[in-house]
Amino acid sequence: MGTEAPQSYEAAVERLEAIIDRLDTGQAGLRETLELCREGKVLVEYAAGELEAVGKGLEELQLDELIARLESADPALRRAGD
Amino acid sequence: MAAEPQAGASREEAIEGYPGPYEVGVYAHRLRDRLRSLARVCLIGEVTNLRIGRGVNVYFELRDADGAMPCAMWKNEFERLGLAEGDLRDGAQVVAAGGCDYYPGGASASPSFAFRVSELRLAGEGDLLARLERLRKALAHEGLLEPQKLLPLAGLPRTIGVVTAAGSAARKDFLAGVERRGWRGTIVWAYAPVQDRRAAPAIAAALRDLAALGGAGGPVVDTIVVTRGGGSIADLWAFCDETLCRTVALLPVPVISAVGHETDRTLLDDVAAVCCSTPTHAAEAAVGVDCRSARARLATGASRLDSAGRQAVVTRARWLGARSRAPREHVARHRSHLHQKARELRAASGRIVTARVTYQQRVAVKVLSRKLMAARASAAAGRSEMGAAAGALERSRQARARREAEALRRMSAALRAHDPDRTLERGYALAVNGAGEPLGDAAAARAAGSFDLRMAGGTVPARVREREEA
Repeated sequence: MGTEAPQSYEAAVERLEAIIDRLDTGQAGLRETLELCREGKVLVEYAAGELEAVGKGLEELQLDELIARLESADPALRRAGD
Repeated sequence: MAAEPQAGASREEAIEGYPGPYEVGVYAHRLRDRLRSLARVCLIGEVTNLRIGRGVNVYFELRDADGAMPCAMWKNEFERLGLAEGDLRDGAQVVAAGGCDYYPGGASASPSFAFRVSELRLAGEGDLLARLERLRKALAHEGLLEPQKLLPLAGLPRTIGVVTAAGSAARKDFLAGVERRGWRGTIVWAYAPVQDRRAAPAIAAALRDLAALGGAGGPVVDTIVVTRGGGSIADLWAFCDETLCRTVALLPVPVISAVGHETDRTLLDDVAAVCCSTPTHAAEAAVGVDCRSARARLATGASRLDSAGRQAVVTRARWLGARSRAPREHVARHRSHLHQKARELRAASGRIVTARVTYQQRVAVKVLSRKLMAARASAAAGRSEMGAAAGALERSRQARARREAEALRRMSAALRAHDPDRTLERGYALAVNGAGEPLGDAAAARAAGSFDLRMAGGTVPARVREREEA
């Protein structure tokens, strides 16, 4: 994975667990350990951000109201819907 | 259908290429006869537009996704069925036996076509399951059971669309389920009827709208859940609607189906990305990550990462420190050894220099001794020669000294003979002026007036007397 952005929370966590497993074996050299730690910290930040995004508070919207609001904001949507 | 031309029909009224013209009433009756001659069959479909009026017929339509058929049943035959009130209703799945019929109408009555139903029963589970199986095979044959299952299902969606009945228990159960997961994202509720003929089109429209929200500037719906509580297969038949299922199959957003109970299996369950037995299970499928435990695990993971990184550095630093001391100590030992050797070398070189100096000194001493001895010998020889010379010289000197002493004595005697003092000793006096200059004659004495008379034994002041002047 390296420095690439994680594709999803699950991918990030899966990679993070793989990193921790690898570190737990104690077989990683210093350079690899530091690189894994650096990558792991990026993944932790990403995963924490994803958890934070669904942890602030439940928001409930209604589709009909949402569509009405979007159509009022953009009349082209209403014409397309018609 | 071939109809005989009516007698008296004018050939001039025909249109070229077409037989006739025929009397329409005759044609209509012939058509009725032909339709009635068609095989009598059973149809299965959903009852719509049911009309039980005061007339002699009960009218309704049978529909499914592909078409519809207007049906009519004599009211007396309908009443003989013994159906409870409300059994036959819009949305009910029924099996109707009968055949095609046509009412030719008349001068003041409109014609109409109908499937004349002579027997009717509510569709049993077997009927519906058989129909469901046929639909399933058709969709499977077209490959429509797979596309949804290929869509990635987010374990931690930010926005979930939920299609369900407003105020339903399914809504409540789903909400409780996601809250138990610690999930507090965004839910877009799409309320729709979940039973009868209106349900499938409304659900399909809601699904399309939910999937399109992101593109229209609304929240991007990551996952859609379609849910309702349990019921008979007839109650759940809307979720077997072919059009609805085709819509779901081609939807770009993964759909989780949670319709009915575990034993129920609708066509929607087959085409959906995930099939769940209850709304609660749907909540767990929609939010695959238990957010509470995930937060705890993430904190643990972060801590382990920190620890691993720190430990890796510290352990290796210690290891390196231990290793780095070895060469340092090795170097120190060598340095000490070298210093010792250097000291020994200096001491040795000092000894060598001393020895060499001593040797050179010894050599020098020997050389000098030899030279000294030679010098002494030479000196002794010289001294001997000098002694002889000195003896001769001494003798010569003594002889000369004696001669010179003799000459000196003679000259001294001669000198003494001329010494004024010797003259003074014989009674003479020497007149000298104040400066000690001798006054050689009487004139000088007179000129001087006063003078000193140096005599043996001392000096006497003298002065020229005046009488002599007279």
